Amino acid sequence: MAELTIKNLHVSVDDTPILKGVNLTIKEGETLALLGPNGHGKSTLLAAIMGNPHYQVTEGEIHFDGQDILAMTPDARSRAGLFLAMQYPSEVPGLNSADFYKAAMNAHRSKPMSLFEYYRALEKAYQNMGIPFEMSKRNLNEGFSGGEKKRNEVLQMELLSPRIAMLDEIDSGLDVDALNVVAKALQEQQARGAGLLMISHYARLLEMVKPSRAAILINGKIAVEGGPELIERVDKQGYEWIKTELGIEVEKEVNAPMNTVSIGACATRVGTNDGK
Amino acid sequence: MANNEEKLVFLDDLPETYSLEVPAGENKTLRLVALKQLPAKLHLVVNVHRDALFRGAFVDFTDVSTELDLQVNLLEEGAQCDWHLAVLSHGKANKSFSTSVKHIAPHTQALMSNYGIAREQSHLVFTGTSAIEHGAVKANTRQEAKIIVFDPGANGLASPILLIGENDVQASHAAVVGRLNEDHLFYLESRGVSEEDAKRLIALGYLKPIERYYDDPALVEKIDAVIEGEIA
Repeated sequence: MAELTIKNLHVSVDDTPILKGVNLTIKEGETLALLGPNGHGKSTLLAAIMGNPHYQVTEGEIHFDGQDILAMTPDARSRAGLFLAMQYPSEVPGLNSADFYKAAMNAHRSKPMSLFEYYRALEKAYQNMGIPFEMSKRNLNEGFSGGEKKRNEVLQMELLSPRIAMLDEIDSGLDVDALNVVAKALQEQQARGAGLLMISHYARLLEMVKPSRAAILINGKIAVEGGPELIERVDKQGYEWIKTELGIEVEKEVNAPMNTVSIGACATRVGTNDGK
Repeated sequence: MANNEEKLVFLDDLPETYSLEVPAGENKTLRLVALKQLPAKLHLVVNVHRDALFRGAFVDFTDVSTELDLQVNLLEEGAQCDWHLAVLSHGKANKSFSTSVKHIAPHTQALMSNYGIAREQSHLVFTGTSAIEHGAVKANTRQEAKIIVFDPGANGLASPILLIGENDVQASHAAVVGRLNEDHLFYLESRGVSEEDAKRLIALGYLKPIERYYDDPALVEKIDAVIEGEIA
């Protein structure tokens, strides 16, 4: 089983340090819930693992399956088996979705797929995600609703079959039906043996996907690691206990405990001021 | 049925000033292609009469400096104009395209759609005025001018103008000039596509749609070959 290992990772955005020494390991086949108050670096961690150029790694190491990830371009990281479902997927004007998926799938193969093989895979993925196949003719995410974009991310995850998929709030903006579709797709990835590293503010998806581990990121560091019981505790009590039990002062204000927004509501995050 | 004339012009053959009349009830299609050569100045005037349609498509993939000036006059009721331009400017070319339309009569419609990519040390400018004159009720006009600047030494400017002298009309425009968007590139790359391929896909998205306005398969193949060859 391949391992994604993060050692003493420091990451800055526009010269502001966000991550201050993250240590975390996730194995293929595991599902890890990444918890923590907003603004403490969860999305930054995922973006840095994928190689987003806005996030500068100032110190530390990331290895995956024995490879030095930080020395690799984002496309090479993807081909190595990492995938990031983004919180805010880009709309790319003029780029046909199906053409792009074909290019992406072929990039993951040593020789190009046959047209037949490609269409079957595409059709199946659209069907699994409950998206009309017609959408494949539209430009990539252009004019898609928030929920459509999220489903489109999961669709690409299915097409690329990553070894470790990172999901940045994949459940925000989804109605109950879409949430079930996404949960089912994630369960299929688990059954296939993929690892999942998930950020979610809602207990609903985590209840369905059942992470085997959880980690809480506070002040740019992993403060606590544990089993699924951590998820339940955060869901019920928020993050206050971390201060009293572990003596860690939460530097940034904790605005929103989990479940302040119910499933089915719009994706906007209530009471938070963070996009990181 | 009306006389529908189609004309394919390679720009080597074109005089500096070219005018076209589209008589009442007719359709005329002008397809212009510049793959290697292009006049330094080109002035096109098109007069469209009652219920007639002018369709124009122009591909310019040369590194030749040029000034194109298109003026379409929608003279009578129901006249229509449908214009599409795709430019891939490169080398040290200095290119300026002004595409203007004048709505003089009621129920006239126009789409002026200009897409471009500026590479290397080239300069690319899209301008033009879509004017709806007083009395041209129910006129519908749209301008699109979009340029992506690919290289640090290249430059782009899009500044179409709408002049509206009548209330009961529809008019819209979209003008965008931008460097290659880093977020878009990262998004595509994160799915396994290399940076060069990601740039290529974005460029193809800008240029390839023009092909649907050319119905000669051999020519489309030729245009395609230039797009694929230039954007490697």
